[in-house]
Amino acid sequence: MKKKWKESTLTEEKMEEPDSIQNEEEKEKKSAKQSKDPKRKAKDTVSDAGVLRPLKLSKKELYKAPTVEELNQLKEAENLFHCSILKMQMEELLKEVSLSDYRKKLVDSFVQEVTDFLHTVPETEVVELDDLSWLPGVEVPFLLVPPTAKGKFHMEPPASINVVGSYPLGTCIKPRVIVDLAVTIPATILHPMDAINQRYPRKRALYLAGLAQQLCFSEAVGSLSYSCLHGNRLRPVLLLKPPGKDSSKVTLRIHAIPPPDFLKPSRFHPQKNNIRTEWFTGVANKQQESSEPATPHYNSTVLGDHLPLSHLQFLSASSAQCPAFGEGVALLKVWLRQRELDQGAGCFCGFHASMLMAYLLSTHKVGKSMNVYQLFRNALHFFASTDLTENGITLAKNPDSKAPSLQEFHAAFSVVFVDPSGHLNLLADMTAFTYKQIQHEASLSLKFWDDPTIDGFHALLMTSKAMIRTYDNVFQLSELVNLQASCKKLSLLNELMDYSGNYVLSALPFILSLLQRGLGERIYLLAHSLPQDPEWPVDSAPPKHKDQPPLSIGLMLNLERALSVLDRGPPADNPKAAEFRQMWGSRSELRRFQDGDITEAVLWSGNSTCQRRLVLLEIITYLLQLHADIPESCVRFVGGQLDDVIKVNKEICTTGEEESLKVVQAYDDLSRKLWQLEGLPLSITSVQGAHQALRYTQVFPPVPVRMNYKFFAKKKNRLGLVPQEDKPCPYYITPIKVIVHMEGSGKWPSEHLAIRHIKAAFHICLGQLLNKHHQYTFNATPTYLDVSKDGLAFRIQVAYHREPQILRESLTPAGMLIYRDNAEAQALELETRHKPFLNSTLHGLQQQHGCFGVVCRLAKRWLASQFLLEYIREEAADLLVASLFLHPAPFTPPSSPQVGFLRFLHLISTFDWKNNPLIVNLNGKLTAADHTDIKNDFGASRESLPTMFIATPNDTKVSVWTKKAPSVQMLQRAVMLAAESLHVLETHLIDSSQKQDARVVFRPPLEAYDVLIHLVPQQVPLLAKAVDPPPITYNQGTYNGDPLASGGVLPVIDYDPVRLYLSELRDAFGDLALFFNDPFGGTVIAVLWKPSAFEPQPFKTSLMNARCVEVNGDVATTVPNIEAILQDFRIIGKGLVKKLELRTEKWAV
Amino acid sequence: MAPSKDQLACVIPGGFTVLSLRFSEDDDHAALHQLCVKEHRVRSESNTDRPLDRTLFVLNVPPYCTQSVLADVFSRFGPIQSVELSDKPGVSESSDSDVSEYFRAARRQCFRVAYIVFSSESGVASAKRHPRSVPLTVSTAGRPVRTGVSKWIQQYSVSLVNSSSLQDAVDQFMRDFDQRKTEEAERLKQAVAQQQEDEEGWVKVTKGSRGAKARPHSEMANQRTLQKEEKKKQRKELLNFYSWQHRNTQKEHIAELRKKFEEDKQKIAALRAQRKFRPF
Repeated sequence: MKKKWKESTLTEEKMEEPDSIQNEEEKEKKSAKQSKDPKRKAKDTVSDAGVLRPLKLSKKELYKAPTVEELNQLKEAENLFHCSILKMQMEELLKEVSLSDYRKKLVDSFVQEVTDFLHTVPETEVVELDDLSWLPGVEVPFLLVPPTAKGKFHMEPPASINVVGSYPLGTCIKPRVIVDLAVTIPATILHPMDAINQRYPRKRALYLAGLAQQLCFSEAVGSLSYSCLHGNRLRPVLLLKPPGKDSSKVTLRIHAIPPPDFLKPSRFHPQKNNIRTEWFTGVANKQQESSEPATPHYNSTVLGDHLPLSHLQFLSASSAQCPAFGEGVALLKVWLRQRELDQGAGCFCGFHASMLMAYLLSTHKVGKSMNVYQLFRNALHFFASTDLTENGITLAKNPDSKAPSLQEFHAAFSVVFVDPSGHLNLLADMTAFTYKQIQHEASLSLKFWDDPTIDGFHALLMTSKAMIRTYDNVFQLSELVNLQASCKKLSLLNELMDYSGNYVLSALPFILSLLQRGLGERIYLLAHSLPQDPEWPVDSAPPKHKDQPPLSIGLMLNLERALSVLDRGPPADNPKAAEFRQMWGSRSELRRFQDGDITEAVLWSGNSTCQRRLVLLEIITYLLQLHADIPESCVRFVGGQLDDVIKVNKEICTTGEEESLKVVQAYDDLSRKLWQLEGLPLSITSVQGAHQALRYTQVFPPVPVRMNYKFFAKKKNRLGLVPQEDKPCPYYITPIKVIVHMEGSGKWPSEHLAIRHIKAAFHICLGQLLNKHHQYTFNATPTYLDVSKDGLAFRIQVAYHREPQILRESLTPAGMLIYRDNAEAQALELETRHKPFLNSTLHGLQQQHGCFGVVCRLAKRWLASQFLLEYIREEAADLLVASLFLHPAPFTPPSSPQVGFLRFLHLISTFDWKNNPLIVNLNGKLTAADHTDIKNDFGASRESLPTMFIATPNDTKVSVWTKKAPSVQMLQRAVMLAAESLHVLETHLIDSSQKQDARVVFRPPLEAYDVLIHLVPQQVPLLAKAVDPPPITYNQGTYNGDPLASGGVLPVIDYDPVRLYLSELRDAFGDLALFFNDPFGGTVIAVLWKPSAFEPQPFKTSLMNARCVEVNGDVATTVPNIEAILQDFRIIGKGLVKKLELRTEKWAV
Repeated sequence: MAPSKDQLACVIPGGFTVLSLRFSEDDDHAALHQLCVKEHRVRSESNTDRPLDRTLFVLNVPPYCTQSVLADVFSRFGPIQSVELSDKPGVSESSDSDVSEYFRAARRQCFRVAYIVFSSESGVASAKRHPRSVPLTVSTAGRPVRTGVSKWIQQYSVSLVNSSSLQDAVDQFMRDFDQRKTEEAERLKQAVAQQQEDEEGWVKVTKGSRGAKARPHSEMANQRTLQKEEKKKQRKELLNFYSWQHRNTQKEHIAELRKKFEEDKQKIAALRAQRKFRPF
């Protein structure tokens, strides 16, 4: 028999990965060593595969006399930064994002080529503005609403071409390098009256189109497309990319601007009108010109075009003053981009960041000699402490007399930041909500930065805060065309004129404030995605407003109020009642409350927590329908799609919160009864829950049931029910573990075996007393006592606090008493000390954070469905989730199951397990010093510690829950699966057009396994809880109806054939193969051979298990006896195994 | 020549004879396990349960073969005195046969080795001569072996314990335990009494049992004393008293800073190598 094993099975690949990286690194290092600075010791100590080893410095190096320079450097690192590592991290980050000289050269030459070309643009004849016949081949990047306009136009070469924006300032960051090129339109094309009625913006667009038409012929240009500046359709820009392989490296953005002082800025005062109603609506208007509505946004758009050059001058002057200016702005830009705030309509872009930094400099809020870190920090501090929606700021030192005052700006715009000229509000398009979001982010960031236990650098600058992972609930408004109707309903004609027909931007502030009022105290923060800049090719018409992708609204929930089904308004006779009724329309009704008040109130539907999570959706759709005419079908709730997989009761739709509560109540009752028992030889000192159902994190919490006795066989003496062979597997009853500590006393023997007997006696005694006083049926065994109560089963274990100690004791021949740790003692300690403690701590966490339990359950459901739950223990999974709540940086603690689950996947897939311990500071017991200690201990003995190291206050050195598993390979698989699931799930949630349901991430890939053991569905006890439950259900021996509170016959407790089968398989073949199964209703056991076990080994008596012998001459070798093993799979699982599916294409026998 | 090759015992290098084993008779084509058997032979066998000449050493016994099953299967080679199963070859594990059945540790369901003691030497020999082509059978119609669901149901049924019989077992053990303890205490008392002066003032000095004589002390207590002394020493020390001490502290401080700096540099280098500084 010749056996060939394909090397690249699943785990094998994983195992080899680090090796290959290692090799590459080694090579790299070797070459680095040979070529450049041999002084760099630090680099050499970075061991293979990026694992840190303790550093060894020679005495001589450490104690040599320091130079002044070195002293200064060390001092600076110590005083200005938390530690020197932050400084180095920032330097590295800036290195990553700044442009290389090579790229700069590339940009410069590209700009030069384009500039040269643009100067040669030919002149054309003068035509009417409406006449587009001279422009073949390209479209005008402008939505012509209304279609007609007066004026004449012709092409001419630009008056001047300047590079403006971030590139000349040196604040440009990679990736997406954008170089702004301002092309000045010659004055002869424009007319002094062009500011009126969009004439100037149209000419500007035409000029751009003219340039685009010419640029099509240029060889220097790779690709050409239109876009617009910050979502403003009046300000189209032309995007140019160089040809060939450099196309992704830089984008040239061409703005057309008027000559600097062409139009007087005073014309664009925010209270003036520059768009006539008559022209816009096409309806003759009898009103006087003076009563025309102001068009502040249009005004600032036109005015903004006049100023890029002077702004650049101003910023260059500021930048010259302060050496760290450019880098400070770059950091701020990174920070903004991670928060998705730097793009789209109403963004806070890099230009604004530079302006802000200049403001801070000019008001001496930052000093000229400050370093990058200080600049950045002060900018955040400014955001956090200044509310630009109330108190605007201005950069203008001596505004001229015609410049508007700050009050006038505030009246016209929601956020005010006035530019150096004193006429332009730089943040004209920003909504108050976006600014609030910036403020929130800034204060949050400062908080994280001040906390020494958090890796501030990582939280602030390295983690992307995508909306779907940041906000608890996300609602999407799709089919934006409906907003047109809402503009009508909200009578927003003036705003529509001001925004030149962009109904999305016109309606947005109103819709948002409507929702803010409606949701009130239910939310902490309401944020919205910024409508992104569209990009379209030059030969196609500009996309319509309705073609925009859906608009997302993110809510940060106040969980205390968010799920309430009642909105209480003012008393009926209060003057505010009318307002309340107006807000809620017909849903508002007078209600009398238990405290005697009669008030207006709105009642929403929902009984279980699962249903109440949809109350917000109900409110939002109702309000939008009522006030903004937006149909329900346009509002899409991102969330709740995952609830399905953890639904406990399909009929009344619960996701386990209520069931968990019932279990805890039953336990509390039992605990009270145990305390009250009399007649025990020793008294009880503590009763502690040690089961996940008692901390609300059991995936499917036990549900009380009533047994159908006819379904079972009975054991004699009424001991209990026993399953029958020819019937399906009975309903699975989870034993809920409870640890009862008995008081310490001299009566306890000091020998382990005797203690075990005494414990057995206690089990009997407790059982009999409970039976006598409360009629609970019980089964006492030496190791536990099962009690059936209220249709649930509790497994009581008596513990004696000195028992682990006694297990550790031994006597040396010299008579000395020594303590040596052993596995048995550890296991006992885990059960009787660590588990109850973890239970009570996490129970407390659930009280603080209402959705901790449900996130845990989702996370564990996912782990189970991907076959990982047996490798990442349930307790470890709970701790991982707990860390999301205790250390949410850079987010806030999750308040909805879905966002918690997404962050759980993100944590698993991105955490650097190799180099960092995950510290879960339960109860806040660990200090900053403890954190450092843990990290140092971890670094010093990395190799001997578990791959997944989770430290808690009671367990800083061992990581008890991850000690045995997962192995490196399993962890790597978990990381890979989590990353993939996260990706699939997020795209699924964001994109409503996806056909698959969200369960797809809960379906494990089965391709990688060698053998699949299909099980008989009837014998799988949790079949109904499977991710895709089968349509048929089997009778599992239960009645509908209330369970018996006490008495009856003891039901079948903890009988799970699948688990028994798996444990037998692992016992027998654990060294040959890995076995995977979804414990919640999985009907498949996946088997993966261990490649190493299949190499022929020389015959040894200790290595003969499940092998067969091959004799070759006088040498005997052994290989696994595959056929017999497969046969054994069937024999051991007789009655449970349906069929074996062999994937023989992967391995040949 | 000997009879046809099929009838020959298959002996492999190492002296083991390979027997084949199948689970049941129904399936002729079923795959077979290979049992390797050999007479038990070690240089010094202290275990009297494994007489050297009559014990057969069996490797690769599948998990569903219990002692009684094995006894039945091998009885075709001769009457069997006892069967011992253990996880690994070698010295027999501490057996807990003196404990009642409730308190015995659950066995792992893995492949094991067996020591089969025949009543006479001929059993060993005939087992070693058995040809490989005639498989032994585990589960026969007369003696079915339970596996799978029926076995688990039986296990569950056994786990339901009658509390009075369990109580009896506990009582029995505790009686024995108490008796043992009293005897021990008695012995200790005698040992102490022996060292007392007799009427004439003589003390009998013996080697005695070491455990009883030595003062009971623990490792912990020893360490505590050591720590106490260490602390005392530290208290007496003067810090920053002499100028050289002061200088040294400063030096230490700089060295500390330097070390931290180097460590940080190392961390950064590691992260850079993994491209951890790309924000997007």
